[in-house]
Amino acid sequence: MAQRATMAAPPIPIEERAWARRAQDRFATYALTTPALALLLVFFLVPIYFVVRYSIGLERFAQTEAAASLTGELPGYSLELWREFLDPGVDLEVLGIASGHMPAWVVGVVFAALVFGAVVGPRLSARYGGWIRAGSFLLLLAPFLTIPAGNNLLRVAELSSEGDFLRLFFRSVTMATTSAVWAVIIAFPIAYFLAFGIKKSKYIWLLVVIAPFLTSYLLRIFAWKIILGDQGLFNSALFELGLRNPDDPVSFLIYSQFTVILVLLYAWVPFIILPIFIALESVDRRLLEAATDMGASRLQAMRKVTLPIAAPGIVAAFLFVFIPSIGEYITPALVGGTNGYMFGQAIASQFVGGALNWQTGSVLSIFLLGVVLFLALSTSRFLRAGGGAPA
Amino acid sequence: MDLEHSRLTRRGFVALTGATSLSALLAACGGDDGGDGGAAAPETGASTDEAPATVSFDPASEPDGPITFFEWAGYDKTSPWMWEGYTKGEYGQRSPLKFDFLENDIQALAKVASGYSPDVIHPCIAYWPDFHAAGLVQPFDTALLPDYEGIPEAIREPGVGEDGLVYHVPFDIGFSAFVYRADKIPIAPEEESWNILLDSAYEGKLATFSDPITIIKIGALINAGEPIDPNKLTSDQIEAAKETMIQAKPQIRNFWDNNQGNIDDFINGNLWGTYMWPDGYLQAIRHEKLKGVDVRYMWPKEGRLAWVCGFVLHAATEQPGRSTLAVAAANTPNAAASLTDVFAYGAAQQEGVLELIKDKELISIFSLDDPSAFEPPRAWFEQPLPNRQEYAEAGEAVKAA
Repeated sequence: MAQRATMAAPPIPIEERAWARRAQDRFATYALTTPALALLLVFFLVPIYFVVRYSIGLERFAQTEAAASLTGELPGYSLELWREFLDPGVDLEVLGIASGHMPAWVVGVVFAALVFGAVVGPRLSARYGGWIRAGSFLLLLAPFLTIPAGNNLLRVAELSSEGDFLRLFFRSVTMATTSAVWAVIIAFPIAYFLAFGIKKSKYIWLLVVIAPFLTSYLLRIFAWKIILGDQGLFNSALFELGLRNPDDPVSFLIYSQFTVILVLLYAWVPFIILPIFIALESVDRRLLEAATDMGASRLQAMRKVTLPIAAPGIVAAFLFVFIPSIGEYITPALVGGTNGYMFGQAIASQFVGGALNWQTGSVLSIFLLGVVLFLALSTSRFLRAGGGAPA
Repeated sequence: MDLEHSRLTRRGFVALTGATSLSALLAACGGDDGGDGGAAAPETGASTDEAPATVSFDPASEPDGPITFFEWAGYDKTSPWMWEGYTKGEYGQRSPLKFDFLENDIQALAKVASGYSPDVIHPCIAYWPDFHAAGLVQPFDTALLPDYEGIPEAIREPGVGEDGLVYHVPFDIGFSAFVYRADKIPIAPEEESWNILLDSAYEGKLATFSDPITIIKIGALINAGEPIDPNKLTSDQIEAAKETMIQAKPQIRNFWDNNQGNIDDFINGNLWGTYMWPDGYLQAIRHEKLKGVDVRYMWPKEGRLAWVCGFVLHAATEQPGRSTLAVAAANTPNAAASLTDVFAYGAAQQEGVLELIKDKELISIFSLDDPSAFEPPRAWFEQPLPNRQEYAEAGEAVKAA
């Protein structure tokens, strides 16, 4: 449109026309992005600014001294709540054996170093870069990736803490990581099949896959409660088949970490098929042919060609599940029970639940935001084109 | 707890989110604020030194316009019996009632403190001092509440301020205790106790309310093993209660947020026993699925817990008189009887109510005709807690443990 406007104008010197076009472009850019930026400013940055102030005692919920004596909030600038949250430190267990106690900042530094290694590993060394990346990934996942088995989560290592909220945070990271990794593992074959296996009407298939999104999320969670209850569909079937005594239903199916992970998987798998599908669609088929021609097995072609090219989609899929899951509130509130209580619920309780301590709630929120922001920003580098391929 | 000489400051987020009503609230605090601005409100007798002040509203001189109740869902237009006395009266058309819904006391407090300004709010009695301390409420003119005296003194008294004025008018009351299936939890009625929470035979089969304060009260009653006032716990008792409730966690399948979800879990067999309000018990005993099952509402030897909720008047309302008349309508014996018939809750109003209750069975089920049922040591009604934060932190720690 800008072009047409300048063409219709009377002849003017080239420099002036260029200037006018630039101004017009710039105006259009501002005009189009201002609403989004304003929204971001008003509903993201400003609230976060105040939440940060709450977390260090510069704001408090109580507006009077008398109210403050009820809420027990900090009267002014102080890092006390942050210290209370982080001071208990972190305990590491490997294969169920206590292996050490560390201050929280040490864990933070190690965590940041591992993320760094995973993201830019290949740039550090042409020879060992791949190994640095793989090693960092494994170490990052080790304490958090689990296999849900009944009431327990089978795991290699575990991070825990004497501090209630910090321990709850690690539990939420574990549940979010487990959900995200398993979601990717489940979604990948479907996306692969859609991208490579179906020739005709693949977008209709895609629509079928994401059809559950047409109903409300709450409704779907309630449906799970009906299926998974002690006298629910699943247990009733077991009773009918004589596999289980009605007095002894499979009870970990509802109100457990397992349930939360299951429902999160169910909720997110259809959603993350999309980014993986798109990444796989972008794989140039000729590369695969070339790989086969040069003697690569199908597995080798997958590992050396398909996966590196699809990596940004896979990482995006992981983050799509991980980020909302780590702060999840409604799913654990409905199906998590005591065993599946999550960090997001603790935050909600501080703001609008019985705990009523906006300052503590703010500390927890900002901590969560910081971790998620760090992950999102550091991996955004990885998400750029070809991020997965060795440099 | 000096709630009288409170200073109001307007800052930060509250200011940002438009604390439109706050300036008018100062009067209710009667505080020594530094000229933050303040509109005149009725003489609230905010000073403790002076003789008890009175409050007087004149509904006739108030402007027309809707009166907004910040209410629990259910106590709205869908329950016309509650408001009839007002809606059919002189101001029913000129100042019609509007309803917004709150989910819990804290959320209501948070919203009102950050600028939302309804005319009347319906918090439970333990929370009115928070509203008051934040300068958000003003006292009622009891002359406009003809049935106020019909509320037993033990129930209405905690709603009276240190200045002798009425800030909270109780409306609904109810027990909170375990409802359990005697076929699964075989205990004799005289053995009933909160300590079933510690019995590993019921692992993963019990549930209780997610409110952190309730969690600590239950822990304290278990520890005492006899009736003690759970509203007056010391720091040591709170700490011990926390430890007990952490021990009880294997038995606690869920800390429920949602009343109906909890009732459904009990009816559907996910729970053998759970902390319930009277409506839950009634649903359970009358439900198809539990026909033939001996479902009991526990009367623990330590005493039941009990709640009282009711109305507070926003400090900035332009229609305090008409709002009070609407509150008065909800406090009539007729409305009180319907409250029991419809929701199975007890009514704070008890004068001549029993005869008006249609479902007479409810009277015996909930011991409505037995005054001792509503008094210590058989029931512990909630009260404002000066050390609530300690309770809350300990209760949160139980959930997070």
